[in-house]
Amino acid sequence: MAAVAEQPRRLRRRGPHARREARIGLLFVLPAFVLFVLFRFGPSIAGVLLGFTDYSLMDSPTFTGLDNFTRLWDDPVFWSSLKVTVLYTVITVPGTIVAAMGLALLTRRAFRGSKLFRSIFFLPVVTSLVLASTVFIWIFSTDGPWSTVMGWVGGHTGSWLADDVFVVPALAIVGIWSRFGYGMLILLASLQNVPRELEEAALTDGAGPWQRFRYIILPSLKPALFFLAVIETTASFQVFDAVYVMTGGGPANASYTLVFQLYDAGFKYFDLGYASAIGLALFVLTLIVAVIQRLVIGKEK
Amino acid sequence: MSLDTHGTHEAREAREVTVTESPSVVAVKGRPPRSRLRSRGRDRFGAGREQDTVPYALRGTRRGKVLRGVLLGVVALATIFPFYAMVVLSLKPSGAVEFPGSLLPWNLTTSAYSDVLGSQDVPQWLINTLIYSIVGVLGTLLLSALAGYAFAKKRFPGREAMFWSFLSMVMVPYHVTMIPTFVLIAKMNGVDTYWGLILPSLANAQAVFLMRQFIQGLPDELFEAAKIDGASEFQIFVRIVLPLIKPIMATLGTFVFLWHWNDFLWPLIVGQSTDMRTLTVGIASLQQQNVPLNVVLAGSVVAFVPIFMAYLVGQRYVTEGVAATGIKG
Repeated sequence: MAAVAEQPRRLRRRGPHARREARIGLLFVLPAFVLFVLFRFGPSIAGVLLGFTDYSLMDSPTFTGLDNFTRLWDDPVFWSSLKVTVLYTVITVPGTIVAAMGLALLTRRAFRGSKLFRSIFFLPVVTSLVLASTVFIWIFSTDGPWSTVMGWVGGHTGSWLADDVFVVPALAIVGIWSRFGYGMLILLASLQNVPRELEEAALTDGAGPWQRFRYIILPSLKPALFFLAVIETTASFQVFDAVYVMTGGGPANASYTLVFQLYDAGFKYFDLGYASAIGLALFVLTLIVAVIQRLVIGKEK
Repeated sequence: MSLDTHGTHEAREAREVTVTESPSVVAVKGRPPRSRLRSRGRDRFGAGREQDTVPYALRGTRRGKVLRGVLLGVVALATIFPFYAMVVLSLKPSGAVEFPGSLLPWNLTTSAYSDVLGSQDVPQWLINTLIYSIVGVLGTLLLSALAGYAFAKKRFPGREAMFWSFLSMVMVPYHVTMIPTFVLIAKMNGVDTYWGLILPSLANAQAVFLMRQFIQGLPDELFEAAKIDGASEFQIFVRIVLPLIKPIMATLGTFVFLWHWNDFLWPLIVGQSTDMRTLTVGIASLQQQNVPLNVVLAGSVVAFVPIFMAYLVGQRYVTEGVAATGIKG
């Protein structure tokens, strides 16, 4: 607000036209600004502060210091949901990126039908995971298609959603299905920047497909890959919709994720201080992983 | 394909191609890539579109192409399979869930659809979703166009600070702000109301950012000329700014529509009575109440059709939007 306070002095110097411009500018920003103060800036600060209180919607919040965080540290449910979330992320993110990369390379050059393929691959991205989940429940049911296919290839048959080991991989498959089309488009856009001369030169020198990919294509995709890794990790850490519909966190908390715990704490038990603390923990985890990804992907120059 | 937007790169490729390619490529060199693709069908060698701009050496072998076709075909079928199953099973009598028998497209009945559309809930949820999505899109577009125009073309004190603080809100995860936002809405008695559902979703940092970027690219002269002609600021905004930003409005509008239509957590929290549910929340509740599969899936199809239509119509905006801005899907 310091900026607004110095407004009269600066404006007087600039004359009536500039003053009018400034007034119009502020007027145009005002509606968005009010909404941002109410629903973004305010809640951002409040979200951090609430994490250090015992707020429960009924009474006014009391400052409790780090109590929520020590409670979180001692909460076996937190460690279990953290483990589930990390496991889900560890399967989903590489799976999504590998699938996106493969399909981007395959549809890279225009050919008859390439546009149709891209449209098909992107369709799950625009589809609500809630809707998709209603059919994936059937796909993963005891005698459903997935179990049948697993029978053919000698995998684990039966309902994956009812199995405490296979439930997270099943959810990860749905996650990959719903996200790889987005990664494919990002990588396709980035593949335009691969220098064609280099690829041709490498081919003339007898470099195989893998070598061309490793030494020519991959280096130019690094920024896009970093972007994707961060976006996909963030999305995976926040997995909720599919879990809520498909398993409800079960069987026996085997698919109970961090956001599910946050949802329960906040909106089932109205333990809003504790829920905010979980939100902060999630935020910090996302930041840490982004920094690690930056280091790993950036280092390979 | 619409994704090749790098004109200079294309032109360079076209030049190289002339060594091995049919003369038609020489003729179109330097033109924008999309018009070239559109103007070319099969070339005189009968090899289809793949060969334009691809030097001979980088073209795949016949075996490679077959392999690529098979791979893409398999992945495409696996990708579509859930959609196919959703539609077919929703058209089966209740209890037809065995695999693979129930996937065959006969013995179809629309009884699940009469159940769904004849119920009190689903039409109400559809109306709620339409209100949430349409008001959400219009509100977000209007607010972000106003703010984006001011940030891009108006000089006012604190402009940069304000813009960057807007943008920084992209970094704060939704789950941190969600709880205080709910508390605020609850204190204002906005739980179970349309405005409580819609209003928080209008503060969209990504939309303001994209609008500002787009409007910054428009030449100042367009606005100056109108001002000299004596147009008021409001007239300039309505008659000049709004028509000029149609492309970004189409892209942004499609995405904001998708986000609202598919939104789940916020409507789940705010819409607590059955009447205030959106389709995603309602269908999730059907799923939990052990409603027969064909009925749940009929609900899913009803909720999916508008998205599918929006995707068909706005597909170009979606794919170009993702490619150009990385806007999240």
